[in-house]
Amino acid sequence: MTPDRKLAALFAAEAPPARDLAFQAAVARRIAARRAWMTVGALVPWVIAATALLWGLSPVVAQLADSMAVALEPVAMVLVTALVAGLAARWLSRRFSAV
Amino acid sequence: MGDFDTDAVLVSRALAGSDAAFSRLVERHQAAVRGFLRRLLGGGWAEADDVAQEAFLAGWASLRSLREPAGFRAWLCGIAWRKAQDRIRALRRGAARDSTWLETVETPPGVSQEDRLALAGAMADLSPDVRACVALCLADGWSHGEAALALGLPLGTVKSHVNRGRARLLNALGGSDDA
Repeated sequence: MTPDRKLAALFAAEAPPARDLAFQAAVARRIAARRAWMTVGALVPWVIAATALLWGLSPVVAQLADSMAVALEPVAMVLVTALVAGLAARWLSRRFSAV
Repeated sequence: MGDFDTDAVLVSRALAGSDAAFSRLVERHQAAVRGFLRRLLGGGWAEADDVAQEAFLAGWASLRSLREPAGFRAWLCGIAWRKAQDRIRALRRGAARDSTWLETVETPPGVSQEDRLALAGAMADLSPDVRACVALCLADGWSHGEAALALGLPLGTVKSHVNRGRARLLNALGGSDDA
Protein backbone atom coordinates (compact mmCIF):
# COMPACT_ATOMS: atom_id res chain seq x y z
CA MET A 1 0.00 0.00 0.00
CA THR A 2 1.38 3.41 -0.95
CA PRO A 3 1.86 6.13 1.68
CA ASP A 4 -0.92 8.12 0.01
CA ARG A 5 -3.39 5.27 0.44
CA LYS A 6 -2.25 4.63 3.97
CA LEU A 7 -2.86 8.26 4.77
CA ALA A 8 -6.34 8.17 3.25
CA ALA A 9 -7.19 4.93 5.10
CA LEU A 10 -5.98 6.27 8.44
CA PHE A 11 -7.91 9.50 8.01
CA ALA A 12 -11.01 7.52 7.07
CA ALA A 13 -10.65 5.37 10.19
CA GLU A 14 -10.97 8.47 12.34
CA ALA A 15 -14.15 9.66 10.65
CA PRO A 16 -17.20 9.72 12.94
CA PRO A 17 -20.42 8.00 11.80
CA ALA A 18 -22.68 10.00 9.50
CA ARG A 19 -25.45 9.83 12.12
CA ASP A 20 -24.92 9.70 15.86
CA LEU A 21 -28.06 10.03 17.96
CA ALA A 22 -26.12 10.02 21.23
CA PHE A 23 -24.08 13.03 20.12
CA GLN A 24 -27.19 14.84 18.89
CA ALA A 25 -28.92 14.15 22.20
CA ALA A 26 -25.92 15.49 24.13
CA VAL A 27 -25.99 18.71 22.10
CA ALA A 28 -29.76 19.03 22.58
CA ARG A 29 -29.32 18.53 26.33
CA ARG A 30 -26.70 21.29 26.51
CA ILE A 31 -28.90 23.62 24.49
CA ALA A 32 -31.87 22.91 26.78
CA ALA A 33 -29.75 23.64 29.85
CA ARG A 34 -28.46 26.88 28.31
CA ARG A 35 -32.01 27.91 27.38
CA ALA A 36 -33.15 27.23 30.96
CA TRP A 37 -30.38 29.43 32.36
CA MET A 38 -31.19 32.14 29.83
CA THR A 39 -34.84 32.01 30.92
CA VAL A 40 -33.84 32.33 34.56
CA GLY A 41 -31.54 35.21 33.68
CA ALA A 42 -34.33 36.96 31.77
CA LEU A 43 -36.72 36.56 34.72
CA VAL A 44 -34.35 37.96 37.34
CA PRO A 45 -34.93 41.68 36.49
CA TRP A 46 -38.69 41.15 36.49
CA VAL A 47 -38.57 39.41 39.88
CA ILE A 48 -36.44 42.23 41.30
CA ALA A 49 -38.84 44.85 39.87
CA ALA A 50 -41.90 43.01 41.25
CA THR A 51 -40.27 42.68 44.67
CA ALA A 52 -39.40 46.37 44.74
CA LEU A 53 -42.92 47.29 43.65
CA LEU A 54 -44.53 45.14 46.35
CA TRP A 55 -42.12 46.49 48.95
CA GLY A 56 -43.04 50.03 47.93
CA LEU A 57 -46.76 49.25 48.03
CA SER A 58 -46.67 47.25 51.26
CA PRO A 59 -48.09 50.05 53.49
CA VAL A 60 -51.06 50.55 51.13
CA VAL A 61 -51.60 46.80 50.74
CA ALA A 62 -51.48 46.25 54.51
CA GLN A 63 -54.08 49.00 55.08
CA LEU A 64 -56.29 47.58 52.35
CA ALA A 65 -56.02 44.08 53.79
CA ASP A 66 -56.98 45.31 57.27
CA SER A 67 -60.06 47.14 56.00
CA MET A 68 -61.15 44.25 53.83
CA ALA A 69 -60.66 41.73 56.61
CA VAL A 70 -63.58 43.21 58.58
CA ALA A 71 -65.93 42.78 55.65
CA LEU A 72 -64.63 39.45 54.45
CA GLU A 73 -64.32 37.65 57.78
CA PRO A 74 -67.95 36.43 58.04
CA VAL A 75 -67.96 35.44 54.37
CA ALA A 76 -64.72 33.53 54.82
CA MET A 77 -66.10 31.71 57.84
CA VAL A 78 -69.17 30.64 55.90
CA LEU A 79 -67.05 29.50 52.96
CA VAL A 80 -64.67 27.51 55.17
CA THR A 81 -67.59 25.87 56.99
CA ALA A 82 -69.20 24.98 53.67
CA LEU A 83 -65.92 23.59 52.38
CA VAL A 84 -65.34 21.44 55.45
CA ALA A 85 -68.94 20.19 55.33
CA GLY A 86 -68.62 19.38 51.65
CA LEU A 87 -65.37 17.48 52.11
CA ALA A 88 -66.81 15.57 55.07
CA ALA A 89 -69.94 14.68 53.10
CA ARG A 90 -67.85 13.48 50.19
CA TRP A 91 -65.62 11.37 52.41
CA LEU A 92 -68.60 9.87 54.23
CA SER A 93 -70.46 9.06 51.02
CA ARG A 94 -67.37 7.27 49.62
CA ARG A 95 -66.75 5.51 52.91
CA PHE A 96 -70.25 4.04 53.13
CA SER A 97 -70.87 3.43 49.46
CA ALA A 98 -67.80 1.17 49.45
CA VAL A 99 -69.27 -1.14 52.14
CA MET B 1 -38.81 18.61 8.21
CA GLY B 2 -37.43 17.20 4.98
CA ASP B 3 -33.95 15.85 4.41
CA PHE B 4 -33.57 18.14 1.42
CA ASP B 5 -33.93 21.45 3.18
CA THR B 6 -30.86 23.56 2.55
CA ASP B 7 -28.71 24.85 5.38
CA ALA B 8 -30.02 28.35 4.68
CA VAL B 9 -33.62 27.20 5.19
CA LEU B 10 -32.73 25.33 8.37
CA VAL B 11 -30.80 28.31 9.72
CA SER B 12 -33.74 30.63 9.10
CA ARG B 13 -36.07 28.19 10.90
CA ALA B 14 -33.63 27.83 13.78
CA LEU B 15 -33.45 31.62 14.03
CA ALA B 16 -37.24 31.65 14.27
CA GLY B 17 -36.94 29.38 17.32
CA SER B 18 -37.14 25.89 15.83
CA ASP B 19 -35.06 23.44 17.87
CA ALA B 20 -35.91 20.73 15.35
CA ALA B 21 -34.24 22.75 12.60
CA PHE B 22 -31.09 23.24 14.64
CA SER B 23 -31.10 19.57 15.54
CA ARG B 24 -31.20 18.79 11.82
CA LEU B 25 -28.17 21.04 11.32
CA VAL B 26 -26.37 19.17 14.10
CA GLU B 27 -27.23 15.86 12.49
CA ARG B 28 -26.00 17.06 9.11
CA HIS B 29 -22.69 18.56 10.22
CA GLN B 30 -21.65 16.63 13.31
CA ALA B 31 -19.46 14.23 11.37
CA ALA B 32 -17.51 17.05 9.71
CA VAL B 33 -16.97 18.99 12.91
CA ARG B 34 -16.09 15.97 15.02
CA GLY B 35 -13.79 14.51 12.37
CA PHE B 36 -11.99 17.84 12.07
CA LEU B 37 -11.54 18.07 15.85
CA ARG B 38 -10.43 14.46 16.22
CA ARG B 39 -7.64 15.01 13.74
CA LEU B 40 -6.77 18.40 15.14
CA LEU B 41 -6.72 17.51 18.82
CA GLY B 42 -5.60 13.89 18.66
CA GLY B 43 -5.71 12.10 21.98
CA GLY B 44 -8.95 10.48 23.07
CA TRP B 45 -11.98 11.19 20.95
CA ALA B 46 -14.07 12.10 24.00
CA GLU B 47 -12.24 15.40 24.28
CA ALA B 48 -12.78 16.21 20.61
CA ASP B 49 -16.48 15.37 20.98
CA ASP B 50 -16.71 17.61 24.03
CA VAL B 51 -15.22 20.52 22.09
CA ALA B 52 -17.60 19.73 19.22
CA GLN B 53 -20.57 19.98 21.59
CA GLU B 54 -19.25 23.31 22.86
CA ALA B 55 -18.91 24.50 19.28
CA PHE B 56 -22.51 23.56 18.42
CA LEU B 57 -23.73 25.24 21.59
CA ALA B 58 -21.79 28.40 20.77
CA GLY B 59 -23.15 28.22 17.23
CA TRP B 60 -26.70 28.00 18.54
CA ALA B 61 -26.14 30.96 20.86
CA SER B 62 -24.60 33.16 18.16
CA LEU B 63 -26.62 32.04 15.15
CA ARG B 64 -27.72 35.62 14.50
CA SER B 65 -24.12 36.58 13.73
CA LEU B 66 -24.03 34.16 10.78
CA ARG B 67 -24.02 36.41 7.72
CA GLU B 68 -24.24 33.74 5.03
CA PRO B 69 -26.52 30.89 6.15
CA ALA B 70 -25.37 28.77 3.21
CA GLY B 71 -21.87 28.80 4.71
CA PHE B 72 -23.02 27.25 7.96
CA ARG B 73 -20.48 24.41 7.88
CA ALA B 74 -17.45 26.68 7.41
CA TRP B 75 -18.77 29.11 10.03
CA LEU B 76 -19.29 26.31 12.53
CA CYS B 77 -15.86 24.80 11.88
CA GLY B 78 -14.43 28.28 12.44
CA ILE B 79 -16.04 28.27 15.89
CA ALA B 80 -14.74 24.74 16.50
CA TRP B 81 -11.27 25.86 15.41
CA ARG B 82 -11.23 28.71 17.94
CA LYS B 83 -12.51 26.43 20.69
CA ALA B 84 -9.84 23.88 19.82
CA GLN B 85 -7.12 26.53 19.92
CA ASP B 86 -8.25 27.47 23.43
CA ARG B 87 -8.20 23.82 24.43
CA ILE B 88 -4.73 23.28 22.94
CA ARG B 89 -3.40 26.30 24.81
CA ALA B 90 -5.05 25.17 28.03
CA LEU B 91 -3.72 21.65 27.88
CA ARG B 92 -0.30 22.59 26.46
CA ARG B 93 -0.67 19.97 23.84
CA GLY B 94 1.30 19.81 20.62
CA ALA B 95 4.20 17.44 20.44
CA ALA B 96 3.43 15.67 23.70
CA ARG B 97 0.02 14.35 22.76
CA ASP B 98 -1.08 11.15 24.40
CA SER B 99 -0.95 8.30 21.91
CA THR B 100 -1.88 5.39 24.18
CA TRP B 101 -5.52 5.68 23.03
CA LEU B 102 -4.40 4.63 19.54
CA GLU B 103 -3.90 1.09 20.74
CA THR B 104 -7.63 0.78 21.36
CA VAL B 105 -8.60 2.02 17.91
CA GLU B 106 -9.12 -0.45 15.12
CA THR B 107 -6.45 -0.22 12.43
CA PRO B 108 -7.71 -0.28 8.82
CA PRO B 109 -6.73 -3.27 6.67
CA GLY B 110 -3.37 -2.90 4.97
CA VAL B 111 -2.11 -0.42 7.55
CA SER B 112 0.11 -1.41 10.43
CA GLN B 113 -0.10 -0.17 13.98
CA GLU B 114 3.34 1.36 13.47
CA ASP B 115 1.96 3.41 10.57
CA ARG B 116 -0.86 4.61 12.77
CA LEU B 117 1.54 5.64 15.51
CA ALA B 118 3.84 7.28 12.97
CA LEU B 119 0.92 9.31 11.58
CA ALA B 120 -0.19 10.33 15.06
CA GLY B 121 3.33 11.41 15.89
CA ALA B 122 3.71 13.34 12.65
CA MET B 123 0.35 15.06 13.16
CA ALA B 124 1.38 16.01 16.68
CA ASP B 125 4.60 17.53 15.36
CA LEU B 126 2.71 19.82 12.98
CA SER B 127 1.75 23.25 14.24
CA PRO B 128 -1.98 23.65 15.01
CA ASP B 129 -2.51 25.82 11.90
CA VAL B 130 -0.94 23.24 9.60
CA ARG B 131 -2.79 20.42 11.35
CA ALA B 132 -6.11 22.21 10.91
CA CYS B 133 -5.46 22.76 7.19
CA VAL B 134 -4.46 19.12 6.75
CA ALA B 135 -7.52 17.92 8.69
CA LEU B 136 -9.92 19.93 6.56
CA CYS B 137 -8.36 19.73 3.10
CA LEU B 138 -6.64 16.35 3.07
CA ALA B 139 -8.86 14.33 5.39
CA ASP B 140 -12.26 15.88 4.71
CA GLY B 141 -11.72 17.05 1.15
CA TRP B 142 -12.56 20.71 1.73
CA SER B 143 -11.49 23.22 -0.89
CA HIS B 144 -8.63 25.52 0.06
CA GLY B 145 -10.99 28.48 -0.16
CA GLU B 146 -13.52 26.99 2.23
CA ALA B 147 -10.78 26.03 4.69
CA ALA B 148 -9.33 29.55 4.48
CA LEU B 149 -12.78 30.95 5.26
CA ALA B 150 -13.32 28.62 8.22
CA LEU B 151 -9.88 29.06 9.73
CA GLY B 152 -9.54 32.77 9.02
CA LEU B 153 -6.25 32.25 7.17
CA PRO B 154 -5.12 33.65 3.80
CA LEU B 155 -5.68 31.31 0.87
CA GLY B 156 -1.98 31.12 0.03
CA THR B 157 -1.16 30.19 3.61
CA VAL B 158 -3.70 27.37 3.55
CA LYS B 159 -2.23 26.02 0.32
CA SER B 160 1.31 26.06 1.65
CA HIS B 161 0.21 24.54 4.97
CA VAL B 162 -1.54 21.70 3.17
CA ASN B 163 1.44 20.99 0.93
CA ARG B 164 3.91 21.11 3.79
CA GLY B 165 1.72 19.01 6.07
CA ARG B 166 1.05 16.41 3.41
CA ALA B 167 4.75 16.07 2.68
CA ARG B 168 5.59 15.52 6.32
CA LEU B 169 2.80 13.00 6.84
CA LEU B 170 3.76 11.02 3.76
CA ASN B 171 7.37 11.09 4.87
CA ALA B 172 6.33 9.64 8.22
CA LEU B 173 4.47 6.87 6.40
CA GLY B 174 7.53 5.95 4.38
CA GLY B 175 6.98 8.14 1.34
CA SER B 176 8.95 10.94 -0.22
CA ASP B 177 8.80 14.32 1.51
CA ASP B 178 9.27 16.36 -1.65
CA ALA B 179 5.56 16.95 -2.28
